[in-house]
Amino acid sequence: MPDITTDLIDNAPCGFLSFGDDGKIALVNATLLARLGYERSELEGRHVESIFAVGSRIFYQTHFFPLLKLHGRAQEIFLLLRSKTGEDVGVLTNAARHERDGQSATDCVFIEVVERRKFEHALLEAREVAQQANVELEQQRHAAEEANQAKSSFLAVMSHELRTPLNAIGGYVQLIEMGVHGPVTDAQKETLARIDRSQRHLLRLINDVLNLARIESGRVDYVVEPVLLADVVGSIMPMVEPQIERKKLRFKAEVSPDLVADADREKVQQILLNLLTNAIKFTSEGGSVSIEGGGSPDSQVFLRVTDTGTGIPRDMLEKVFEPFIQVDASRSRSTEGTGLGLAISRDLARGMKGDLNVESTMGAGSTFQLFLPRGRQLKQGLP
Amino acid sequence: MRHDIVKRNNVTVFGKGTQPMLFAHGFGCDQHMWRFVTPAFENDYRIVLFDYVGSGESDLFAYDADRYSTLEGYAKDVLDVIRALDLRDIIFVGHSVSSMIGVLAANEEPDRFAQLILIGPSPRYINDEEYVGGFERKDIDGLFEMMDSNFIGWANFLAPAIIKNADRPELGEELTESFCSTDPVIARRFAQATFLADNREDLARVTVPSLILQCSDDMVAPEQVGEFMNQRLASSTLRVMKATGHCPHMSHPDETIALIKEYLATASAT
Repeated sequence: MPDITTDLIDNAPCGFLSFGDDGKIALVNATLLARLGYERSELEGRHVESIFAVGSRIFYQTHFFPLLKLHGRAQEIFLLLRSKTGEDVGVLTNAARHERDGQSATDCVFIEVVERRKFEHALLEAREVAQQANVELEQQRHAAEEANQAKSSFLAVMSHELRTPLNAIGGYVQLIEMGVHGPVTDAQKETLARIDRSQRHLLRLINDVLNLARIESGRVDYVVEPVLLADVVGSIMPMVEPQIERKKLRFKAEVSPDLVADADREKVQQILLNLLTNAIKFTSEGGSVSIEGGGSPDSQVFLRVTDTGTGIPRDMLEKVFEPFIQVDASRSRSTEGTGLGLAISRDLARGMKGDLNVESTMGAGSTFQLFLPRGRQLKQGLP
Repeated sequence: MRHDIVKRNNVTVFGKGTQPMLFAHGFGCDQHMWRFVTPAFENDYRIVLFDYVGSGESDLFAYDADRYSTLEGYAKDVLDVIRALDLRDIIFVGHSVSSMIGVLAANEEPDRFAQLILIGPSPRYINDEEYVGGFERKDIDGLFEMMDSNFIGWANFLAPAIIKNADRPELGEELTESFCSTDPVIARRFAQATFLADNREDLARVTVPSLILQCSDDMVAPEQVGEFMNQRLASSTLRVMKATGHCPHMSHPDETIALIKEYLATASAT
């Protein structure tokens, strides 16, 4: 009667093999013999390495054997076996080292992995592709950053180089106007005034470009302190009042006297002046412009500049914050702008951990909202 | 500095002697692999064990992919340990790839080394025209591929690394049992540094006397490689062992101990 244990081991649905410390195969089951195409007599007594692919032999010597010797067991090790005909067979191996009949024996179970390997290969390949994509992405990001930095530096240098001769032009025009080089006729005065206007326009454009370049290259310092917003509004009113009066606009400012932002006072002034100048510029005679200040729910404060001007088309709402963009290119000539004001304003707002956005209805007007971090309440009596 | 290196490379020092015996483990294991041979030397020598950064219980955070992409980086670990402990008159015992790492270190600071004991050394694993290293490039690629596959189901090697990172003291007991634990990504790079290296030129520069222990049936470092080493090294002794395989200090510790002792006795007599 056949021994049931022997039969079980021989025909189990996995390979089984036992070898001694000298590496010699003591026992191998029929399932493994059949899979590798050997006769029992061809394997028993031979070194276990002889059924390993070359890579597996190195792996056995450098990893598998030390692990068995020190740990007494190894689990879920992937090995490539080599059949008699040279075919590679991928298997997962569990092995344990025992004392048997006074000798050390290592028993191994091999389970062939075919489908699993396909998935593993796909995983490894996907990982490689992902890694490659990451590397490329990083390179592109780096290149883009460098290009942007180069652009900003170039603009800064160019703007500086352009300002020097422009200042000279302005200076000499003034000298001529003053009659330093002799009497000036009315016609000449008119021409000089045009030169002067053009010079100032060009200078403002260059200053704006320089500012934007500075902001984009991160070379702007922010002096953040508690700022009373009503105070800021008060300080810029004298600059815009003449224009408001000239266009007969209705003007209203409602900013609570204790509204405080954590911000750079000068930058807030610059932004607000830009928003007000725009509002006045794009509102026709008899319209209204207003400033409103308050606290938004998420620990921010806001200043809202509303006009009853021409409004901004829906598809332009975000674009107005891009450099050199004006809603109506044909009109910009008559309204004298560089197209940089809002780009600079938004960059400055964000530089102070705030933001600037806009809502608008064509024909009804626009509302620009400047958000800033809320500041601590200032003590009474302090500016 | 000293303390940093001791911690980084998990340096262990014991023994009753004064002359240091510095044991350097091979690819795929850690200092635990020496435990079958060190007891035979601890009465007469100062035993110094360590793990390369990335192996065993070294500080994985100190791992620098660039530094350890070549064997020179590993030689720096050996020199760091030597300088940290100010070791002199060293008997260096290196297994497998550590033989060549020891050669590189000894060429850097020859005055600190008394003897090099090289177990299963190979200056180049891949055949090259006349030179027999034992492998073709595709064999080595096969090893890399298999190591890649083991990234996924690498329970024995990966698990200890995870345990270590998880910082769970209740697993400390388990940890001391986790011999030869290796981060698979690091192991894969170590394999590349090892099996693609060519250090044949470095052999001629060695001035420190050496013992080459060559196993008789070692598929990782075949006998021709041992002979090549012996020819190129200036004052070397080649001993072909009865031991088979690539790890005689683990499989045949008695013979390994006897040959090292015999060599050291002869060396000190002359």
